[in-house]
Order: sequence, then C-alpha cells, then structure tokens
Amino acid sequence: MQVLTVSTDSPEDIAAERHLHGLQARMLSDVELKVTDAFGLRNTGFHSAPLSHESVALPVPATLLVDPEGRVLWLDLSKDYQRRSDPGVVLAAMQAHFDTLEL
Amino acid sequence: MKAGTKLGLVACFLAMGTAALWFYLTRQVSLPDDRTLFAIVLLAAAGLGVLAYIKGTGLVGGVPPAAAIVIGLFLPFTMSVSEQTVEADRVIAVGDRVPRFSARDAAGEIFDSDTLHGHLVLIKFFRAHW
Repeated sequence: MQVLTVSTDSPEDIAAERHLHGLQARMLSDVELKVTDAFGLRNTGFHSAPLSHESVALPVPATLLVDPEGRVLWLDLSKDYQRRSDPGVVLAAMQAHFDTLEL
Repeated sequence: MKAGTKLGLVACFLAMGTAALWFYLTRQVSLPDDRTLFAIVLLAAAGLGVLAYIKGTGLVGGVPPAAAIVIGLFLPFTMSVSEQTVEADRVIAVGDRVPRFSARDAAGEIFDSDTLHGHLVLIKFFRAHW
C-alpha cells in the first residue's frame, strides 16, 4: 500500500517538518495547487493561512482511498478545517474497502 | 494589587486554559463539531479582560488581560471562518478515476502518479505546516 500526502508546503518546508509525523509517506509539495485543482479540492471559502504563506489558496482537508486501477473507493472531505478525518473512521474505511480486495 | 489586575489574571487563565484544551483536542483529532461552549468561554474571557481594564490595572497588570482579549477573540474568529467549500461540479467523487498528476516531494524529486498503478493508495490532502 502506498501513502501520499499533498500540501501547499514547499519541498524544503516538508523536509524540515516531516519528522513530526513519523510517517513513511511520500509527502508532496503542491504550492501552486495543481494537484489540488486536478482533484477539485481547492477551498473556495475564506483563505485562512498566515499572510506569509505563499499559496493563493488551500486544499480542503481530505482523505481518499484509491484502488489498484486508480478509482476512488472512499473519500472524506472536511466541511470545516478544524474537523479532520477521524483516524478511526479512516481505519474503518480501510478495513471495509481494502480487506475485500485480493492482491 | 489594583482591582483590575486580579480580574485580568482570571481572564488570562481562563483564555489560556481553554486554548490549551482546544489545541490538545485538535492534536487528538477530537475537537467537537459543536464548539459553541468554547466560543462562549473564550468570549467571556475576552470580556473579563476588557472589564479588567475598566476597573484599572497597572502597567505589568495590563499584560494578562491583553492576552485574554487576543486569545479570547482570535479562536472564535477562526471558528467563524473555518467552513470549507469546494466547487461541487469539480470535486472528485467515489468511483471517479484519479487524475494523473506529478509533484515534487520533500527531496525535490518529481513524483508521477503513474507509479501508483497496481497499488492500494491512501492520499491525504492537508493545508500546510505552520
């Protein structure tokens, strides 16, 4: 299984901060929101980043599970950036969707 | 100690304690959906901060109520602008094929989404570190 993260940080910022996560994920930089826009995940509401942040907008916090053929199996969008995907909900979705697939 | 100084300290502890609980719950990903009580307590702390100034504080005693007012107004402000919206006709949905994309990773190397083919994938979009 592959784990990716996408954020509007620069590669340098990700490199400096990734130890905080303890993740083996591939952490991608999307400063210009190209990936975010390809998924249609740009937040069109209030842009609440600090003024120093270089991106013109931010993605909506979102978690996706994708099957080996590249189709979205499950998706969780945050309607409110202060409320993220509950890890328990993500784990349950992984069990529900991934355990049914034979690889 | 001036009359407002004590009140300012109470306001400051109330605002900082509530903010500490807020950030603890945020880290646990368990901030409640309904944050009205947080807003009420924080705005009350800001109000007490104002009241402290009205009652009168010394120069040093004026610092805690300032903190209470800043914290007590800022977090409710973030609550009021936290709603997230996407363009409904553009957002990806269950069953859709993931678009092809490439991006730089932490090492500055280009990642191509074609390498995901044949794998189960978890993709997490988040806003940024700051």
